[in-house]
Amino acid sequence: MNAQSSPHPALEILSLYSTGDLPFFLRLRTESHVKECAACELQVLSIRAAKAELRREAGAQILTGFEAIADWQALEGDMLGNIRVGVAAARCIEKVGRTRKWTSRFAWAAGMTALFMAGWFTRVPLEDNRKILTALRRAIGLDQPPFYGTILRSSPDGITVRTQGATLTILHPQTAVISMSSPHSVTARYIDDDSGQVTITNVYGQ
Amino acid sequence: MCMGSKLGYSFGAVCLALLLVNRASAEENGKWLDVQFPHDSPVLLVAFNMSPTTVTVRRSSMVLDLHEALVLRNVGSKPICGLTLRVEAQDLTPYGKGSVIKPSLFVLPGEEFPVKVDMQLLRPISATKSESAMVQVTLDCALFSDLKAYGPDKLNSRRTLMVYELEARRDRQYLARLLDSGQLPELREELNFGNQDLIPRQLGLELLRGPGIPALREQALAVNPMPFPKAPVQPLSGAAQVAGNEVRAPRVEVRNTSKMRVASVAMGWIVRDDRGTDFVAGAVTSPVVIGPVQTTSISESGTLRFSRSTGQPMVIDRLMAFVNDVQFADGSLWIPSRADIDAATQDPELRRELATSPEEQRLARIYLRDGTAGLKKELKRVSLSN
Repeated sequence: MNAQSSPHPALEILSLYSTGDLPFFLRLRTESHVKECAACELQVLSIRAAKAELRREAGAQILTGFEAIADWQALEGDMLGNIRVGVAAARCIEKVGRTRKWTSRFAWAAGMTALFMAGWFTRVPLEDNRKILTALRRAIGLDQPPFYGTILRSSPDGITVRTQGATLTILHPQTAVISMSSPHSVTARYIDDDSGQVTITNVYGQ
Repeated sequence: MCMGSKLGYSFGAVCLALLLVNRASAEENGKWLDVQFPHDSPVLLVAFNMSPTTVTVRRSSMVLDLHEALVLRNVGSKPICGLTLRVEAQDLTPYGKGSVIKPSLFVLPGEEFPVKVDMQLLRPISATKSESAMVQVTLDCALFSDLKAYGPDKLNSRRTLMVYELEARRDRQYLARLLDSGQLPELREELNFGNQDLIPRQLGLELLRGPGIPALREQALAVNPMPFPKAPVQPLSGAAQVAGNEVRAPRVEVRNTSKMRVASVAMGWIVRDDRGTDFVAGAVTSPVVIGPVQTTSISESGTLRFSRSTGQPMVIDRLMAFVNDVQFADGSLWIPSRADIDAATQDPELRRELATSPEEQRLARIYLRDGTAGLKKELKRVSLSN
């Protein structure tokens, strides 16, 4: 055979020849050699067989992976279950967060209230606190309700009329003599130390 | 919005309100007080000093302390013997007001005299503002030495000033008579009440008017009449509802024993406490028309609470009524004479309280300061003024 006289092609050339990937002139020369050289022909057949086996094995492996996710109903059930679990978990987390938020708000408000009450009772005079407590007692019916008409009242320092939410006091010295002067008025009489004149103040409430 | 944010907004709103109040107060600096007299008034404002005046914020209210010293001048042609200034605050109008009366003045034409008004106004910060001043002082009545008067007389001041002037003339004549007759021990005894130890017994009063007065367990109490022998109107009997230190609806039957028609009667009231001490509570004028020899009933509405000057409630044990003064239909007035007062009671303390007119109080101060000579000089000056 003539193939015995030409050198054998390299294994890479035979591999490319077996897949049809050689250039035209190199493929013709390699083909004439393989047809006359039984060893190279066997090598080409071995390569083609191995290649076919690799392709078959690759196809089998792809089919096995696809078959693993081919149960769509099971997959949908799993996904919906996972979603439900996630939603339920999120709700649980949200409820826990809300409770914590309200607890912290309540604690903050209670602290501020306690601070306010402490400041109030240490800064506001006792008499004012008594008035507030009296108002509260009236509000819940333990005391008689306040009088909303016109009030005329004398004190050592002045005569006061309270009506329409406002109060007018005409002041006098503590030596003044207090008396009624009409059904609607109270009078204070005193001597002005500077001028020596008698001054009489009247406060009216109708 | 979180609670912290809400509180923050609330705090900011309060701060803003306070700032606005301070600003408003500053803007209204010149609108706190207004003193006005009619163009034809017999007295005019000469000087006006309004210090020290303060404005403070007390919780939700504004407190205005006004201390005004007025200097007025008699620009008329007749001596002025009494004056009433009306004090009105727009926040209390029309239900609450005040007045300052200056009896026993004797201001000759062209002379000046001082009038001081010290007052405190407490108004809500939220109260609406108006263009006018918060407090207005105007002339209500000026009484001349001939007992004629000038002014709108919205507070029935003319009658009040005339009673004071008649009492003043009565007491000046009485004291002048003691001086002229050399009855110095009697004079000293009469004027000793000007001592601080012998000033009239002091009362605390509270007058409530309107609906919602709390009801207490009341009991009827008879009113004992204390007649003046020559009074044209005589108290006959009376009653009142009393509960502790409260007197309600006092009522007195009176009879006109004169031949003249009566236009108004001022009933004086004496309250006796549970210790047996008598207090003159004052005289209340009622516009009641009583024909000659007619009987009528004078009653008062409202509730009156009595307390001691210290504020302690005073338990009422007895009530007495007397006729303090009477105005007839022709405008003339009757007041009790010294003899009437002496005859009305045997209690020297009560007699002294009934006779304590503003003029006697003033003359007692002069007597204590300047003695008999000072009293004589003052009585002479006043007689010349009249």
